[in-house]
Amino acid sequence: MVADAPARGPSRSRGAVPSARPRRQREEELLVWPDLVFVEFISALVFTLTFVALAILINAPLQDRANPANTPNPSKAPWYFLNLQELLLHMHPALAGVIVPTVFLIILGAVPFFDTSNEGQGQWLSTPRAWPNLIVGFIVGTVGTWALIIYNSGKHIVVFERFTFDADSFDNFPPLIVDERLREWPESLNWLTSVRALQTDIAWPGELETIPLGETFVRTDLLGLPRGSIQWNFPAWIVEQAIPVNLMVGLPILLCLVAWRLGLAKTRRDFMILMFSGWLGSYLALTMAGTYFRGEGLELLWPWEVRPAES
Amino acid sequence: MATTERPQGRPLADRLYDFTVNNRVWRSIIRTGYPNTPRNQMLAVATNVFLHLHPTRIHRTHVKITHTYCLGGLSFFLFLGLTITGVLLMFYYVPSVERAYQDMQALQTDVRFGMLMRNTHRWMAHGMVITVLMHMMRVFYTGAYKPPREFNWIVGVVLLVLTLLLSFTGYLLPWDELAFWAITVGTNMIGSDPVLGEVNQFVMIGGFEVGQNALIRFYTLHVVGLPLIAAIFMAVHFWRIRRDGGLARPL
Ligand code: HEM
Repeated sequence: MVADAPARGPSRSRGAVPSARPRRQREEELLVWPDLVFVEFISALVFTLTFVALAILINAPLQDRANPANTPNPSKAPWYFLNLQELLLHMHPALAGVIVPTVFLIILGAVPFFDTSNEGQGQWLSTPRAWPNLIVGFIVGTVGTWALIIYNSGKHIVVFERFTFDADSFDNFPPLIVDERLREWPESLNWLTSVRALQTDIAWPGELETIPLGETFVRTDLLGLPRGSIQWNFPAWIVEQAIPVNLMVGLPILLCLVAWRLGLAKTRRDFMILMFSGWLGSYLALTMAGTYFRGEGLELLWPWEVRPAES
Repeated sequence: MATTERPQGRPLADRLYDFTVNNRVWRSIIRTGYPNTPRNQMLAVATNVFLHLHPTRIHRTHVKITHTYCLGGLSFFLFLGLTITGVLLMFYYVPSVERAYQDMQALQTDVRFGMLMRNTHRWMAHGMVITVLMHMMRVFYTGAYKPPREFNWIVGVVLLVLTLLLSFTGYLLPWDELAFWAITVGTNMIGSDPVLGEVNQFVMIGGFEVGQNALIRFYTLHVVGLPLIAAIFMAVHFWRIRRDGGLARPL
Protein backbone atom coordinates (compact mmCIF):
# COMPACT_ATOMS: atom_id res chain seq x y z
CA MET A 1 0.00 0.00 0.00
CA VAL A 2 1.21 3.45 -0.80
CA ALA A 3 0.88 5.04 2.56
CA ASP A 4 2.41 8.31 1.55
CA ALA A 5 0.70 8.78 -1.77
CA PRO A 6 0.49 12.47 -2.64
CA ALA A 7 -2.59 14.22 -1.41
CA ARG A 8 -5.32 14.32 -3.98
CA GLY A 9 -7.36 16.93 -2.21
CA PRO A 10 -6.88 20.66 -2.10
CA SER A 11 -4.20 22.14 0.03
CA ARG A 12 -5.47 24.61 2.59
CA SER A 13 -4.47 27.54 0.46
CA ARG A 14 -6.93 26.52 -2.25
CA GLY A 15 -9.55 27.06 0.38
CA ALA A 16 -13.05 26.52 -0.79
CA VAL A 17 -12.47 24.44 -3.90
CA PRO A 18 -14.57 21.33 -3.38
CA SER A 19 -12.76 18.10 -3.98
CA ALA A 20 -12.16 14.77 -2.30
CA ARG A 21 -9.86 14.81 0.67
CA PRO A 22 -6.31 13.49 0.75
CA ARG A 23 -5.70 9.78 0.67
CA ARG A 24 -5.86 8.54 4.19
CA GLN A 25 -3.24 6.73 6.13
CA ARG A 26 -4.12 3.08 6.17
CA GLU A 27 -3.02 2.51 9.76
CA GLU A 28 -5.68 4.94 10.90
CA GLU A 29 -8.40 2.87 9.35
CA LEU A 30 -10.52 0.02 10.53
CA LEU A 31 -12.39 -2.54 8.52
CA VAL A 32 -16.10 -1.93 8.19
CA TRP A 33 -16.64 -5.62 8.83
CA PRO A 34 -16.61 -6.27 11.73
CA ASP A 35 -16.02 -2.90 13.44
CA LEU A 36 -18.78 -0.75 11.96
CA VAL A 37 -21.25 -3.49 11.10
CA PHE A 38 -21.09 -4.57 14.73
CA VAL A 39 -21.86 -1.09 16.08
CA GLU A 40 -24.71 -0.71 13.62
CA PHE A 41 -26.12 -4.08 14.53
CA ILE A 42 -26.04 -3.36 18.23
CA SER A 43 -27.63 0.07 17.91
CA ALA A 44 -30.36 -1.30 15.64
CA LEU A 45 -31.03 -3.98 18.23
CA VAL A 46 -31.12 -1.53 21.12
CA PHE A 47 -33.42 0.79 19.23
CA THR A 48 -35.80 -1.98 18.17
CA LEU A 49 -36.08 -3.12 21.76
CA THR A 50 -36.56 0.44 22.99
CA PHE A 51 -39.35 1.13 20.56
CA VAL A 52 -41.11 -2.16 21.15
CA ALA A 53 -40.91 -1.51 24.89
CA LEU A 54 -42.24 2.00 24.38
CA ALA A 55 -45.06 0.65 22.22
CA ILE A 56 -45.99 -1.88 24.88
CA LEU A 57 -45.95 0.71 27.64
CA ILE A 58 -47.57 3.74 26.06
CA ASN A 59 -50.54 3.71 23.75
CA ALA A 60 -50.83 6.08 20.83
CA PRO A 61 -53.73 8.47 21.40
CA LEU A 62 -57.03 7.93 19.67
CA GLN A 63 -59.65 10.51 20.54
CA ASP A 64 -63.27 10.69 19.44
CA ARG A 65 -64.14 10.52 15.81
CA ALA A 66 -63.45 13.75 13.95
CA ASN A 67 -66.34 16.14 14.06
CA PRO A 68 -65.89 19.20 11.87
CA ALA A 69 -68.81 20.87 13.64
CA ASN A 70 -67.12 21.43 16.98
CA THR A 71 -63.73 22.97 17.32
CA PRO A 72 -61.73 21.90 20.36
CA ASN A 73 -60.20 24.70 22.36
CA PRO A 74 -57.23 24.97 22.07
CA SER A 75 -56.77 23.28 18.73
CA LYS A 76 -53.16 22.64 18.04
CA ALA A 77 -51.02 21.43 15.16
CA PRO A 78 -48.64 18.45 15.66
CA TRP A 79 -45.88 19.30 18.12
CA TYR A 80 -43.18 19.84 15.49
CA PHE A 81 -45.29 22.62 13.96
CA LEU A 82 -46.23 24.25 17.24
CA ASN A 83 -43.25 26.57 16.87
CA LEU A 84 -44.88 27.98 13.75
CA GLN A 85 -48.26 28.09 15.44
CA GLU A 86 -46.64 30.06 18.24
CA LEU A 87 -45.13 32.50 15.74
CA LEU A 88 -48.58 32.86 14.23
CA LEU A 89 -49.78 34.50 17.43
CA HIS A 90 -47.28 37.28 17.07
CA MET A 91 -47.34 38.32 13.44
CA HIS A 92 -49.12 38.27 10.13
CA PRO A 93 -50.16 34.71 9.21
CA ALA A 94 -48.46 34.84 5.83
CA LEU A 95 -45.23 35.72 7.56
CA ALA A 96 -45.40 33.02 10.22
CA GLY A 97 -46.95 30.29 8.13
CA VAL A 98 -45.15 30.64 4.83
CA ILE A 99 -42.47 33.29 4.53
CA VAL A 100 -40.49 32.61 7.72
CA PRO A 101 -40.28 28.82 7.21
CA THR A 102 -39.41 29.20 3.53
CA VAL A 103 -36.75 31.80 4.10
CA PHE A 104 -35.43 29.79 7.02
CA LEU A 105 -35.06 26.63 4.95
CA ILE A 106 -33.28 28.54 2.21
CA ILE A 107 -30.87 30.06 4.70
CA LEU A 108 -30.34 26.65 6.33
CA GLY A 109 -29.53 25.11 2.97
CA ALA A 110 -27.14 27.96 2.28
CA VAL A 111 -25.09 27.43 5.45
CA PRO A 112 -22.21 25.67 3.65
CA PHE A 113 -22.02 28.55 1.19
CA PHE A 114 -21.64 31.17 3.91
CA ASP A 115 -19.05 29.18 5.77
CA THR A 116 -16.73 27.81 3.13
CA SER A 117 -13.51 27.36 5.06
CA ASN A 118 -12.34 23.99 6.30
CA GLU A 119 -11.91 25.34 9.79
CA GLY A 120 -13.12 22.92 12.44
CA GLN A 121 -14.26 20.37 9.94
CA GLY A 122 -15.05 16.83 11.03
CA GLN A 123 -14.53 17.29 14.76
CA TRP A 124 -16.94 18.22 17.48
CA LEU A 125 -16.71 21.96 18.17
CA SER A 126 -12.99 22.01 17.67
CA THR A 127 -12.42 25.67 16.82
CA PRO A 128 -11.09 27.89 19.60
CA ARG A 129 -14.26 29.88 20.29
CA ALA A 130 -16.78 27.19 19.42
CA TRP A 131 -18.15 26.54 22.88
CA PRO A 132 -18.52 30.17 23.98
CA ASN A 133 -20.38 30.94 20.77
CA LEU A 134 -22.63 27.93 21.21
CA ILE A 135 -23.47 28.83 24.78
CA VAL A 136 -23.99 32.53 24.18
CA GLY A 137 -26.04 31.89 21.05
CA PHE A 138 -28.22 29.33 22.74
CA ILE A 139 -28.85 31.41 25.83
CA VAL A 140 -29.55 34.61 23.93
CA GLY A 141 -31.87 32.73 21.57
CA THR A 142 -33.80 31.07 24.38
CA VAL A 143 -34.02 34.02 26.73
CA GLY A 144 -34.67 36.52 23.96
CA THR A 145 -37.47 34.48 22.44
CA TRP A 146 -39.09 33.92 25.81
CA ALA A 147 -38.79 37.59 26.64
CA LEU A 148 -40.53 38.53 23.41
CA ILE A 149 -43.26 35.92 23.91
CA ILE A 150 -43.88 37.06 27.47
CA TYR A 151 -43.86 40.71 26.53
CA ASN A 152 -46.22 40.23 23.64
CA SER A 153 -48.63 38.23 25.77
CA GLY A 154 -48.93 41.15 28.15
CA LYS A 155 -47.46 39.17 31.04
CA HIS A 156 -45.10 41.95 32.02
CA ILE A 157 -48.12 43.77 33.37
CA VAL A 158 -48.82 40.93 35.76
CA VAL A 159 -45.20 41.00 36.81
CA PHE A 160 -45.35 44.75 37.28
CA GLU A 161 -48.42 44.48 39.46
CA ARG A 162 -47.41 41.44 41.46
CA PHE A 163 -43.91 42.47 42.21
CA THR A 164 -44.64 45.91 43.50
CA PHE A 165 -42.86 46.29 46.78
CA ASP A 166 -45.09 46.34 49.82
CA ALA A 167 -43.61 47.36 53.15
CA ASP A 168 -46.47 45.93 55.20
CA SER A 169 -45.98 42.43 54.01
CA PHE A 170 -42.40 42.38 55.13
CA ASP A 171 -43.25 39.55 57.50
CA ASN A 172 -43.93 37.46 54.48
CA PHE A 173 -41.08 36.41 52.39
CA PRO A 174 -40.83 37.29 49.58
CA PRO A 175 -42.42 40.67 50.29
CA LEU A 176 -44.77 40.56 47.38
CA ILE A 177 -48.38 41.36 47.16
CA VAL A 178 -50.44 38.70 45.58
CA ASP A 179 -54.04 39.43 46.41
CA GLU A 180 -54.20 43.12 46.90
CA ARG A 181 -52.80 45.05 44.00
CA LEU A 182 -50.83 48.07 45.09
CA ARG A 183 -50.55 49.52 41.69
CA GLU A 184 -52.43 49.02 38.46
CA TRP A 185 -50.76 49.12 35.08
CA PRO A 186 -51.05 52.82 34.24
CA GLU A 187 -53.61 53.46 31.56
CA SER A 188 -51.42 56.00 29.84
CA LEU A 189 -49.04 53.18 29.06
CA ASN A 190 -51.62 50.89 27.54
CA TRP A 191 -50.05 51.19 24.13
CA LEU A 192 -47.03 49.38 25.57
CA THR A 193 -48.89 46.26 26.69
CA SER A 194 -48.11 44.31 23.54
CA VAL A 195 -47.12 44.87 19.97
CA ARG A 196 -50.76 44.68 18.96
CA ALA A 197 -51.56 47.48 21.43
CA LEU A 198 -49.56 49.82 19.24
CA GLN A 199 -52.35 49.44 16.73
CA THR A 200 -55.32 49.43 19.07
CA ASP A 201 -54.28 51.86 21.80
CA ILE A 202 -52.88 54.66 19.74
CA ALA A 203 -55.30 57.03 18.08
CA TRP A 204 -54.15 56.56 14.51
CA PRO A 205 -55.63 59.03 12.05
CA GLY A 206 -58.33 57.23 10.09
CA GLU A 207 -56.69 57.91 6.75
CA LEU A 208 -53.70 55.82 7.72
CA GLU A 209 -55.84 52.75 8.10
CA THR A 210 -57.19 52.86 4.61
CA ILE A 211 -54.49 54.12 2.32
CA PRO A 212 -55.68 53.32 -1.18
CA LEU A 213 -53.01 51.58 -3.21
CA GLY A 214 -55.19 51.40 -6.27
CA GLU A 215 -55.35 48.59 -8.72
CA THR A 216 -51.81 48.60 -9.98
CA PHE A 217 -50.22 46.58 -7.22
CA VAL A 218 -52.29 43.44 -7.26
CA ARG A 219 -52.67 42.03 -10.74
CA THR A 220 -54.92 39.15 -9.81
CA ASP A 221 -56.50 39.56 -13.22
CA LEU A 222 -53.38 37.91 -14.63
CA LEU A 223 -54.37 34.75 -12.77
CA GLY A 224 -57.85 34.89 -14.21
CA LEU A 225 -59.33 36.17 -10.95
CA PRO A 226 -61.28 39.39 -10.48
CA ARG A 227 -59.06 42.39 -10.35
CA GLY A 228 -58.56 43.53 -6.80
CA SER A 229 -57.82 46.92 -5.47
CA ILE A 230 -56.24 47.10 -2.08
CA GLN A 231 -56.26 49.43 0.78
CA TRP A 232 -53.26 49.57 2.96
CA ASN A 233 -53.79 49.50 6.70
CA PHE A 234 -50.63 51.19 7.83
CA PRO A 235 -50.87 50.59 11.61
CA ALA A 236 -51.69 46.92 11.03
CA TRP A 237 -48.76 46.66 8.66
CA ILE A 238 -46.43 48.12 11.26
CA VAL A 239 -47.63 45.71 13.92
CA GLU A 240 -47.99 42.52 11.92
CA GLN A 241 -45.15 42.84 9.50
CA ALA A 242 -42.69 45.66 9.95
CA ILE A 243 -41.93 45.08 13.62
CA PRO A 244 -41.71 41.27 13.45
CA VAL A 245 -39.53 41.30 10.33
CA ASN A 246 -37.27 43.93 11.80
CA LEU A 247 -36.88 41.96 15.00
CA MET A 248 -36.29 38.64 13.27
CA VAL A 249 -33.67 40.13 10.98
CA GLY A 250 -32.33 42.81 13.25
CA LEU A 251 -31.79 40.96 16.51
CA PRO A 252 -29.56 38.24 14.98
CA ILE A 253 -27.55 40.93 13.20
CA LEU A 254 -27.28 42.84 16.45
CA LEU A 255 -26.08 39.72 18.21
CA CYS A 256 -23.46 39.19 15.52
CA LEU A 257 -22.28 42.77 15.81
CA VAL A 258 -22.00 42.61 19.57
CA ALA A 259 -20.20 39.26 19.42
CA TRP A 260 -17.83 40.69 16.87
CA ARG A 261 -17.09 43.82 18.87
CA LEU A 262 -16.51 41.74 21.99
CA GLY A 263 -14.15 39.43 20.12
CA LEU A 264 -16.41 36.47 20.78
CA ALA A 265 -16.91 35.70 17.10
CA LYS A 266 -14.11 36.25 14.65
CA THR A 267 -14.28 33.70 11.86
CA ARG A 268 -17.23 32.66 9.75
CA ARG A 269 -17.43 29.39 11.62
CA ASP A 270 -17.84 31.39 14.84
CA PHE A 271 -20.72 33.37 13.39
CA MET A 272 -22.29 30.20 12.03
CA ILE A 273 -22.16 28.52 15.43
CA LEU A 274 -23.53 31.65 17.09
CA MET A 275 -26.44 31.92 14.65
CA PHE A 276 -27.23 28.22 14.50
CA SER A 277 -27.23 27.93 18.29
CA GLY A 278 -29.33 31.06 18.54
CA TRP A 279 -31.84 29.56 16.14
CA LEU A 280 -31.81 26.32 18.12
CA GLY A 281 -32.58 28.13 21.38
CA SER A 282 -35.30 30.16 19.76
CA TYR A 283 -36.80 27.12 18.03
CA LEU A 284 -36.89 25.17 21.27
CA ALA A 285 -38.40 28.11 23.14
CA LEU A 286 -41.14 28.51 20.52
CA THR A 287 -41.86 24.77 20.50
CA MET A 288 -42.00 24.63 24.30
CA ALA A 289 -44.22 27.69 24.51
CA GLY A 290 -46.57 26.30 21.89
CA THR A 291 -46.64 22.83 23.42
CA TYR A 292 -46.75 23.35 27.16
CA PHE A 293 -47.64 26.97 27.81
CA ARG A 294 -50.62 27.60 25.56
CA GLY A 295 -53.98 26.76 27.01
CA GLU A 296 -57.53 27.61 26.19
CA GLY A 297 -57.81 30.34 23.59
CA LEU A 298 -54.04 29.94 23.14
CA GLU A 299 -53.56 31.99 26.27
CA LEU A 300 -50.08 31.95 27.77
CA LEU A 301 -50.31 29.93 31.00
CA TRP A 302 -48.15 27.85 33.28
CA PRO A 303 -47.96 24.23 32.12
CA TRP A 304 -49.90 23.06 35.17
CA GLU A 305 -52.71 25.45 34.33
CA VAL A 306 -53.05 24.16 30.80
CA ARG A 307 -55.98 21.77 30.56
CA PRO A 308 -56.41 19.32 27.72
CA ALA A 309 -58.58 20.57 24.91
CA GLU A 310 -62.31 20.59 25.44
CA SER A 311 -64.65 20.63 22.57
CA MET B 1 3.03 -38.61 34.18
CA ALA B 2 2.34 -35.55 32.23
CA THR B 3 -0.40 -36.27 29.90
CA THR B 4 -2.45 -33.56 28.40
CA GLU B 5 -5.90 -34.78 27.91
CA ARG B 6 -7.21 -33.77 24.58
CA PRO B 7 -10.86 -32.96 24.43
CA GLN B 8 -12.99 -35.72 23.06
CA GLY B 9 -15.03 -34.16 20.33
CA ARG B 10 -15.14 -30.55 19.23
CA PRO B 11 -17.30 -28.11 21.26
CA LEU B 12 -21.02 -28.22 20.60
CA ALA B 13 -21.11 -24.67 19.26
CA ASP B 14 -18.54 -25.55 16.62
CA ARG B 15 -20.45 -28.58 15.54
CA LEU B 16 -23.67 -26.61 15.33
CA TYR B 17 -21.94 -23.96 13.28
CA ASP B 18 -20.60 -26.55 10.89
CA PHE B 19 -23.96 -28.20 10.64
CA THR B 20 -25.73 -24.96 9.70
CA VAL B 21 -23.10 -23.55 7.42
CA ASN B 22 -21.59 -26.52 5.66
CA ASN B 23 -24.50 -27.65 3.60
CA ARG B 24 -25.61 -26.96 0.09
CA VAL B 25 -28.56 -24.77 0.99
CA TRP B 26 -26.60 -22.31 3.14
CA ARG B 27 -23.72 -22.29 0.72
CA SER B 28 -26.07 -21.48 -2.11
CA ILE B 29 -27.07 -18.30 -0.27
CA ILE B 30 -23.78 -17.27 1.25
CA ARG B 31 -20.92 -18.70 -0.70
CA THR B 32 -18.09 -18.04 1.72
CA GLY B 33 -17.50 -18.98 5.31
CA TYR B 34 -17.11 -16.41 8.07
CA PRO B 35 -14.80 -13.74 6.69
CA ASN B 36 -11.84 -13.81 9.03
CA THR B 37 -9.06 -12.36 6.97
CA PRO B 38 -9.01 -8.62 6.22
CA ARG B 39 -9.27 -9.36 2.53
CA ASN B 40 -12.34 -11.50 2.96
CA GLN B 41 -13.89 -8.98 5.35
CA MET B 42 -13.55 -6.26 2.74
CA LEU B 43 -15.01 -8.56 0.13
CA ALA B 44 -17.89 -9.37 2.45
CA VAL B 45 -18.80 -5.70 2.60
CA ALA B 46 -18.15 -4.91 -1.04
CA THR B 47 -20.06 -7.84 -2.51
CA ASN B 48 -23.09 -7.90 -0.25
CA VAL B 49 -26.03 -5.97 -1.60
CA PHE B 50 -27.06 -4.68 1.84
CA LEU B 51 -23.59 -3.84 3.05
CA HIS B 52 -22.12 -2.35 -0.08
CA LEU B 53 -23.41 1.11 0.74
CA HIS B 54 -20.51 1.13 3.17
CA PRO B 55 -16.93 1.64 2.21
CA THR B 56 -14.72 -1.33 3.03
CA ARG B 57 -12.53 0.63 5.38
CA ILE B 58 -13.34 3.52 7.61
CA HIS B 59 -11.37 5.96 9.68
CA ARG B 60 -11.11 4.90 13.30
CA THR B 61 -12.62 8.10 14.72
CA HIS B 62 -15.82 7.47 12.76
CA VAL B 63 -16.47 4.16 14.45
CA LYS B 64 -16.57 5.92 17.81
CA ILE B 65 -20.17 6.26 18.89
CA THR B 66 -19.55 9.76 20.15
CA HIS B 67 -18.64 11.04 16.71
CA THR B 68 -22.04 10.49 15.08
CA TYR B 69 -24.10 9.00 17.91
CA CYS B 70 -25.37 6.84 15.02
CA LEU B 71 -28.01 9.50 14.45
CA GLY B 72 -28.11 9.38 10.65
CA GLY B 73 -28.07 5.62 10.74
CA LEU B 74 -30.86 5.61 13.32
CA SER B 75 -32.95 7.94 11.19
CA PHE B 76 -32.58 5.49 8.33
CA PHE B 77 -33.27 2.58 10.63
CA LEU B 78 -36.46 4.26 11.84
CA PHE B 79 -37.45 4.87 8.23
CA LEU B 80 -37.13 1.14 7.59
CA GLY B 81 -39.04 0.29 10.76
CA LEU B 82 -41.78 2.71 9.75
CA THR B 83 -42.01 1.11 6.33
CA ILE B 84 -42.45 -2.35 7.83
CA THR B 85 -45.02 -1.37 10.47
CA GLY B 86 -46.68 0.93 7.93
CA VAL B 87 -47.20 -1.88 5.44
CA LEU B 88 -48.77 -3.97 8.20
CA LEU B 89 -51.08 -1.10 9.13
CA MET B 90 -52.16 -0.74 5.50
CA PHE B 91 -53.70 -4.21 5.64
CA TYR B 92 -56.31 -2.95 8.07
CA TYR B 93 -56.90 0.62 7.04
CA VAL B 94 -59.24 2.00 4.42
CA PRO B 95 -58.77 5.72 3.71
CA SER B 96 -62.39 6.73 3.64
CA VAL B 97 -64.06 9.19 5.95
CA GLU B 98 -66.70 6.59 6.79
CA ARG B 99 -64.30 3.80 7.61
CA ALA B 100 -60.99 5.26 8.71
CA TYR B 101 -61.86 5.86 12.36
CA GLN B 102 -63.70 2.57 12.65
CA ASP B 103 -60.69 0.78 11.19
CA MET B 104 -58.45 2.36 13.77
CA GLN B 105 -60.69 1.19 16.58
CA ALA B 106 -60.90 -2.28 15.11
CA LEU B 107 -57.15 -2.32 14.71
CA GLN B 108 -56.71 -1.56 18.37
CA THR B 109 -59.27 -3.96 19.73
CA ASP B 110 -59.83 -6.80 17.24
CA VAL B 111 -56.53 -7.23 15.46
CA ARG B 112 -53.95 -9.34 17.22
CA PHE B 113 -50.91 -7.13 17.96
CA GLY B 114 -52.78 -4.30 16.23
CA MET B 115 -52.25 -1.88 19.08
CA LEU B 116 -48.58 -2.81 19.27
CA MET B 117 -48.19 -2.19 15.55
CA ARG B 118 -49.92 1.16 15.68
CA ASN B 119 -47.95 2.26 18.75
CA THR B 120 -44.65 1.24 17.22
CA HIS B 121 -45.45 3.14 14.05
CA ARG B 122 -46.50 6.23 15.97
CA TRP B 123 -43.53 6.36 18.33
CA MET B 124 -41.08 5.62 15.55
CA ALA B 125 -42.55 8.51 13.55
CA HIS B 126 -42.03 10.92 16.45
CA GLY B 127 -38.63 9.36 17.03
CA MET B 128 -37.59 9.96 13.46
CA VAL B 129 -38.41 13.66 13.58
CA ILE B 130 -36.23 13.90 16.69
CA THR B 131 -33.31 11.83 15.38
CA VAL B 132 -33.26 13.72 12.08
CA LEU B 133 -33.15 17.06 13.90
CA MET B 134 -30.42 15.77 16.19
CA HIS B 135 -28.51 14.36 13.22
CA MET B 136 -28.60 17.80 11.66
CA MET B 137 -27.26 19.27 14.88
CA ARG B 138 -24.42 16.76 15.02
CA VAL B 139 -23.54 17.43 11.37
CA PHE B 140 -23.54 21.14 12.06
CA TYR B 141 -21.47 21.06 15.23
CA THR B 142 -18.90 18.69 13.75
CA GLY B 143 -18.54 21.10 10.84
CA ALA B 144 -19.38 18.28 8.43
CA TYR B 145 -21.26 20.50 5.98
CA LYS B 146 -18.08 22.15 4.76
CA PRO B 147 -16.69 21.62 1.27
CA PRO B 148 -16.96 19.18 -0.44
CA ARG B 149 -20.14 18.23 1.43
CA GLU B 150 -22.26 21.30 0.66
CA PHE B 151 -24.58 19.39 -1.61
CA ASN B 152 -25.13 16.61 0.88
CA TRP B 153 -26.16 19.19 3.44
CA ILE B 154 -28.77 20.46 0.99
CA VAL B 155 -29.96 16.91 0.34
CA GLY B 156 -30.21 16.65 4.11
CA VAL B 157 -32.38 19.77 4.35
CA VAL B 158 -34.70 18.23 1.75
CA LEU B 159 -34.80 15.03 3.81
CA LEU B 160 -35.70 17.05 6.89
CA VAL B 161 -38.63 18.62 5.06
CA LEU B 162 -39.71 15.23 3.72
CA THR B 163 -39.56 13.74 7.20
CA LEU B 164 -41.81 16.49 8.56
CA LEU B 165 -44.22 16.09 5.65
CA LEU B 166 -44.34 12.33 6.11
CA SER B 167 -45.18 12.79 9.74
CA PHE B 168 -47.72 15.50 9.00
CA THR B 169 -49.56 13.51 6.31
CA GLY B 170 -49.71 10.49 8.61
CA TYR B 171 -51.21 12.58 11.39
CA LEU B 172 -54.55 12.92 9.58
CA LEU B 173 -55.12 9.24 8.90
CA PRO B 174 -56.71 8.11 12.22
CA TRP B 175 -59.48 10.63 11.51
CA ASP B 176 -60.03 11.44 15.15
CA GLU B 177 -60.46 14.89 16.65
CA LEU B 178 -56.75 15.31 17.21
CA ALA B 179 -55.98 14.40 13.60
CA PHE B 180 -58.70 16.49 12.07
CA TRP B 181 -57.98 19.69 13.96
CA ALA B 182 -54.22 19.40 13.78
CA ILE B 183 -54.42 19.16 10.01
CA THR B 184 -57.02 21.92 9.86
CA VAL B 185 -54.81 24.25 11.88
CA GLY B 186 -51.73 23.21 9.89
CA THR B 187 -53.25 23.70 6.47
CA ASN B 188 -54.91 26.95 7.52
CA MET B 189 -51.43 28.23 8.24
CA ILE B 190 -50.56 27.65 4.60
CA GLY B 191 -53.87 29.08 3.49
CA SER B 192 -53.25 32.33 5.30
CA ASP B 193 -50.70 33.54 2.79
CA PRO B 194 -52.55 36.29 0.93
CA VAL B 195 -50.91 35.66 -2.42
CA LEU B 196 -50.96 31.94 -3.16
CA GLY B 197 -52.20 30.61 0.16
CA GLU B 198 -55.73 29.79 -0.84
CA VAL B 199 -54.65 28.07 -4.01
CA ASN B 200 -52.03 26.04 -2.14
CA GLN B 201 -54.44 25.06 0.57
CA PHE B 202 -57.03 24.05 -1.99
CA VAL B 203 -54.53 21.88 -3.80
CA MET B 204 -53.31 20.30 -0.57
CA ILE B 205 -56.65 19.34 0.87
CA GLY B 206 -58.60 19.09 -2.35
CA GLY B 207 -61.33 21.45 -1.28
CA PHE B 208 -62.13 24.21 1.11
CA GLU B 209 -62.05 22.10 4.22
CA VAL B 210 -60.51 18.88 5.42
CA GLY B 211 -62.67 16.02 4.16
CA GLN B 212 -62.58 12.91 2.00
CA ASN B 213 -60.44 14.57 -0.66
CA ALA B 214 -57.89 15.64 1.89
CA LEU B 215 -57.85 12.17 3.42
CA ILE B 216 -57.16 10.38 0.16
CA ARG B 217 -54.50 12.91 -0.81
CA PHE B 218 -52.73 12.67 2.50
CA TYR B 219 -53.00 8.89 2.45
CA THR B 220 -51.55 8.52 -1.02
CA LEU B 221 -48.73 10.89 -0.27
CA HIS B 222 -48.09 9.22 3.05
CA VAL B 223 -47.90 5.64 1.85
CA VAL B 224 -46.48 6.03 -1.66
CA GLY B 225 -45.47 9.48 -2.80
CA LEU B 226 -43.37 10.83 0.03
CA PRO B 227 -41.67 7.54 1.02
CA LEU B 228 -40.62 7.06 -2.59
CA ILE B 229 -39.18 10.55 -2.84
CA ALA B 230 -37.53 10.18 0.56
CA ALA B 231 -35.99 6.86 -0.48
CA ILE B 232 -34.55 8.46 -3.60
CA PHE B 233 -33.08 11.33 -1.63
CA MET B 234 -31.67 8.93 0.95
CA ALA B 235 -30.00 6.93 -1.81
CA VAL B 236 -28.42 10.14 -3.08
CA HIS B 237 -27.48 11.14 0.48
CA PHE B 238 -25.68 7.85 1.15
CA TRP B 239 -24.06 7.78 -2.26
CA ARG B 240 -22.75 11.29 -1.74
CA ILE B 241 -21.22 10.34 1.60
CA ARG B 242 -19.09 7.78 -0.27
CA ARG B 243 -18.35 10.16 -3.13
CA ASP B 244 -17.28 12.89 -0.74
CA GLY B 245 -14.71 10.55 0.76
CA GLY B 246 -16.59 9.19 3.74
CA LEU B 247 -17.43 11.22 6.79
CA ALA B 248 -15.77 14.56 7.32
CA ARG B 249 -12.42 14.65 9.05
CA PRO B 250 -10.06 17.48 9.93
CA LEU B 251 -7.88 18.31 6.96
C1 HEM C 1 -34.19 11.19 6.71
C2 HEM C 1 -33.22 11.89 7.10
C3 HEM C 1 -31.74 11.54 7.08
C4 HEM C 1 -31.10 10.31 7.03
C5 HEM C 1 -31.74 8.94 6.99
C6 HEM C 1 -29.68 10.59 7.04
C7 HEM C 1 -28.70 9.61 7.06
C8 HEM C 1 -27.34 9.86 7.18
C9 HEM C 1 -26.34 8.89 7.52
C10 HEM C 1 -26.60 7.41 7.78
C11 HEM C 1 -25.14 9.53 7.56
C12 HEM C 1 -23.81 8.90 7.95
C13 HEM C 1 -23.25 9.48 9.22
C14 HEM C 1 -24.15 9.56 10.40
O1 HEM C 1 -24.83 8.57 10.71
O2 HEM C 1 -24.18 10.61 11.04
C15 HEM C 1 -25.38 10.91 7.20
C16 HEM C 1 -24.42 11.89 7.08
C17 HEM C 1 -24.67 13.21 6.73
N1 HEM C 1 -25.90 13.83 6.76
FE1 HEM C 1 -27.67 12.88 6.89
N2 HEM C 1 -29.47 11.96 7.08
C18 HEM C 1 -30.70 12.56 7.13
C19 HEM C 1 -30.95 13.91 7.23
C20 HEM C 1 -29.97 14.89 7.15
C21 HEM C 1 -30.18 16.29 7.42
C22 HEM C 1 -31.49 16.91 7.88
C23 HEM C 1 -28.97 16.91 7.20
C24 HEM C 1 -28.61 18.38 7.30
C25 HEM C 1 -29.36 19.36 7.08
C26 HEM C 1 -28.02 15.90 6.79
C27 HEM C 1 -26.71 16.12 6.43
C28 HEM C 1 -25.73 15.15 6.42
C29 HEM C 1 -24.33 15.39 6.10
C30 HEM C 1 -23.71 16.73 5.66
C31 HEM C 1 -23.66 14.17 6.30
C32 HEM C 1 -22.17 13.90 6.18
C33 HEM C 1 -21.63 13.96 7.59
C34 HEM C 1 -20.14 13.79 7.69
O3 HEM C 1 -19.46 13.78 6.67
O4 HEM C 1 -19.67 13.65 8.84
N3 HEM C 1 -28.65 14.68 6.80
N4 HEM C 1 -26.75 11.10 6.98
